[in-house]
Order: sequence, then C-alpha cells, then structure tokens
Amino acid sequence: MTTATIESPAALDVRGLSKHFGGVRAVDDCSFIAPKGKVTGLIGPNGAGKSTAIDLISGFKLPDAGTVLFGGTPLQGLPPHRISRLGLIRTFQTPREWRGLTVLENVVLARWDEERESFWRGVLGLRQAQHEATRAELAAAREILEEFGLSALRNERAGNLSGGQKRLVEFARIRMAQPNLVILDEPMGGVNPVLGERMAVAIEGFIATGTTVMVVEHNLPFIERVTDHVVVMSQGSVIANGPFGSLRSNPAVIDAYLGEMPTYEQPGA
Amino acid sequence: MTQYLVSVLTEGAVFGILALGLNVIWGWSGDFDLAYYGYVALGAYMTLVLTIGRHPAPERYILGLQLPYPVAVVLAVASAMALALVIGLIALRHLRGIYFSIVTLGAVYVLYTLAGQFVPLFNGYQGLSGLVNPMADALGIDFSSYQYFFLGFAIAVFLLVYLFLSRVSSSRFGLALRSLREDERAAAAFGRDIYRLKLKAYVLGAAIGGLGGALFAAYLSAFNTSAWAPLETIVLYAAILVGGRGNIRGVVLGVFIVFVLIEESTRFLPEIPGHPNIVLALRPVIIGAALILFLRFRPQGLLPERRYVDPIAQKVPRGSTP
Repeated sequence: MTTATIESPAALDVRGLSKHFGGVRAVDDCSFIAPKGKVTGLIGPNGAGKSTAIDLISGFKLPDAGTVLFGGTPLQGLPPHRISRLGLIRTFQTPREWRGLTVLENVVLARWDEERESFWRGVLGLRQAQHEATRAELAAAREILEEFGLSALRNERAGNLSGGQKRLVEFARIRMAQPNLVILDEPMGGVNPVLGERMAVAIEGFIATGTTVMVVEHNLPFIERVTDHVVVMSQGSVIANGPFGSLRSNPAVIDAYLGEMPTYEQPGA
Repeated sequence: MTQYLVSVLTEGAVFGILALGLNVIWGWSGDFDLAYYGYVALGAYMTLVLTIGRHPAPERYILGLQLPYPVAVVLAVASAMALALVIGLIALRHLRGIYFSIVTLGAVYVLYTLAGQFVPLFNGYQGLSGLVNPMADALGIDFSSYQYFFLGFAIAVFLLVYLFLSRVSSSRFGLALRSLREDERAAAAFGRDIYRLKLKAYVLGAAIGGLGGALFAAYLSAFNTSAWAPLETIVLYAAILVGGRGNIRGVVLGVFIVFVLIEESTRFLPEIPGHPNIVLALRPVIIGAALILFLRFRPQGLLPERRYVDPIAQKVPRGSTP
C-alpha cells in the first residue's frame, strides 16, 4: 500500500462521509465506528442514508468527501472487488445468488482465489494440483452447507430456492469467504421468525470465527437480539449511538422514528 | 454427392468454431455482442493479405505478403484479439445489456463500412481472393484430394477448440465467468474484477472468431463484404440458443441443426415456378421462427448448461441400526 495505515482500534472507522445526489444530501458528514469482534447495528428510518452509506463503504458508489478506514487502511476510491479482497464483504437488500449455478457452486465461488482463477494456471495448469484444490474447496463448502441445513439442496440451482433459503445461502457464502468484516444489508427482509433466530445464531457464528459484523435492519427486535452497539442515522447523518437499550429513551431517536420506538417498547410487542 | 457432403461438413466445422467462440462471450460471460462477425471478418481478411502476395492494379490492399498459411492464421488470430481488446476496453467499461449491444453493433458497422469504402485497406467491396489450397504444395497434396485434406484440417482445428473450451468450461475461470453472467454485483462483492474478467472472455471469444475467419478464408479462397453482413451474428446466436447457451455440446448440436439441417435441407425443397428465390428467402424465416419458438418454449435450449452434481454421500439405511 502506498497510503500509510492509520491507527484505529475499530474494524471500520467512518469519518465525515458525504454523498450528494443533485440537491439531495443522501449521506451528510456521517461518522461512526464498528468495533472489532462485535456486532454493530445500523438503523434509521427509510431514506436515512443507510444503504447509500454501505454503497460508499463497499466501493459501489464513490463518496464526495470523507474517509473510510478498514483496519486502518483507507478504502475510499477503491473499486468493490479490491475492498472485498481486503476482507470487507457486503450483502444486498435482496439476495443476490448466482441463479443458474448450484447452491454448492455458489458457496465454493464465495472464496476468491487469484491463483485458482487465473486463466493460464486454471486452464492449462497441472490437473492434479487443481483436483486437490477443488476437493479441499468442496469439502469446506459441504461442511458449511451442513451447518446451515442446506446439504440436501446443494445440487439445486440457487435461483429455484425460496427467499429464506437464499438468505441462508448468502450467509453460507460469507462463512466460506471468511471476511474480517461483513456488512449485512437488511438480512431479515422477508424472513420468518424461526429463520430469524437461525440467522441470529449464524451471526454469533461469524463473530466466533473472527468476522466482525455490521447489520443494517428495520427489524428492531432482531437488532436488539444480535447487536452489541447501535448507530442511528437520520437524514444522512448519525444522530445517536450506543447500546440498543440506551437509545430507547433518546429523544432524537424517538423523533426520527416518529413514535415507532415507543410502540415497540410496549410489553408483548 | 460426396463433394456436397464434404463441403457441408467443412462449413459445419467452421461454423462450429465460430459458434463456440461466441458462446464464450454470450454463453458464459453473458454479453450480447453484435461485433462478433467483425472479428471473424478481420481474421479472414488478415489471412488473405498475409498470404496472397501482391496483385496488379486496380486491386489495392495492405501488406500483400506471401507468408505460409499457418503463420498467417496465428497473425490473423492476434489481429482479431487486438481489435477485440480495443472495442472491449471501451464497450465493457461501464456498459451492460442492451447498451453494450448497441455499442458493439455500432463498432461492427464502422468496420463493415471501412472495409467496403476504404479501398486501400482490403480492396473495398470487391474484396480479396487468390488463397488457393493453402499448404497443398508444402505437404504435397494433389488438387483432387485437397478438399478431403482441408475437411480433416477443419475438423482437427474444431476438435482442438472444443477440447480447449471444455477445459475452460470446467475451470474456476469458467465458473467465475458464469458468476458474472448470473449476477455481477454479487461477483464484485466476492472479489471478482468484473471488467478484467469480461475483457479476458471477450478477447478469448474474438480469438476463436478470428481463427474461424482464417479457416473460412481458406475454404472460400476469397473474402469480401458480402460474406459477412453484420447480422450474420444473429444466426450464430440462433444456433447457440437452440442448442443450449453455455453448454459447448449444445452449441455444437445447435450448429448442426441451424446450419446443416435448416440451411441445407431447404436446398432440397422444390422450386416454385416463377419465384426462383423463394427457397433462399425461406431460410431466414425458418431460422427466425426457430429462434422465437425456442425463446418462448425452451429458452435453455435442447441441451441446457450442465452444472456440477455433487455425489450423494453414502447414508446408512434407516432401521439398520440394532
């Protein structure tokens, strides 16, 4: 790297991130950190700028201003694949499986390997070495699919799965890729409560295997269940952060959610 | 009849190569490229200007060398790759889907017009000729048996391309290309450099197209603009679609059906008196109808792309434990 790394204890350190679309300040001087080895939630009402912030962090959009430090390495300006190769992987609001490939292939391909994917080595290289590498990859992928209860579906084309199963495939892919940080963009979208609990357990599994997690979600009970620390965005900026419990009484948060938070606080909700 | 069969098989082998090359670009990488015939044509033109030597005026064209045919083939393939690199660098940077197709269509029309109008390049619309039975003298093959030799040569090249692409297909590179076809944002999120990968596939496809063009030039012993209307590419797409996009076996089957069955069988239809061209006109109609019917009823083609099937692990039968 030509740019010097900057000391930061956080897995992700976002400083003054901004993005304007015409006159709309989608993300406006947004700063927050995601501590290493923890689950950080990113919440906020619709249009708060959460998704744009993720796009800026993961390189899918270029910021107008601000820095993103990932383990001390500046990310702003890098293309998505470079950021991914550094160990930051993000998901999308809708599952983006490789439809025509099988579930097993989806998981195997989640691990990027320059050596394996090079045209010359991959096509003309020694067959024996490739077979061995393939065997190891398949074994790892099978084990992960077993863990996520997807073994029986491994030869199915991913496009044929249900919405919830696709979410699980996405989690299995992340497990295979073993990033340092994963940003999950609304993983609970269209997912039933039983599967939700499975995802919460999977997130604990990510932490256990050394992957720091950041999760963007509208489902506040899920945020309360899985996060250690929550960042609240509204109108492009961070308005509050701290443990979920501490935010319930925060007037700015209640104001941003237009009374949605108190409803959640009612017993039995 | 034998002569006819030999010519059909030779053409079949050449079109098989062309369709296999296009399958790399569209079948695997997922880009609907309309410039493809430009690479085929460049391969053919380059083969001719590198082998036929200088012809007297008014014929005008570049180079006019007398290189051995195999050397010319290699250089022709390299030229097709270089052109694909230039067009791909521009068209694949940000454009996808229909926008990519429009740019490549524009590019091929520029090439077509250039080849036709700019006479000093490849002798304009008259085109080039005079590549008669390449390699015959060097190998001591006489005139009467040359067509059998060339059939064997074309089939050998076709088989080499096929074997090579079957390795590409089963490699991780081939799998990565398919991930771009299926969802390139996800591919980027998992570390794939989309632009580079797509560019590699594009240049690889064009190389095979150029190789097919080099064989085509030797088969026809001449080449001009009437041999490559840019919309010929659509016929190759029809072959890939009918056979099975992404599956090289399917692509070969598609070439057999579209080029051999449809193109050639219409030859045997009875002539309708007073309408001498109706049979010729019927071919694109049948190919177009096949395209529509397949898109509607069997878009995956006759032989759909096959995926890796993980063997079912041996399970202990239920009730076997005491």
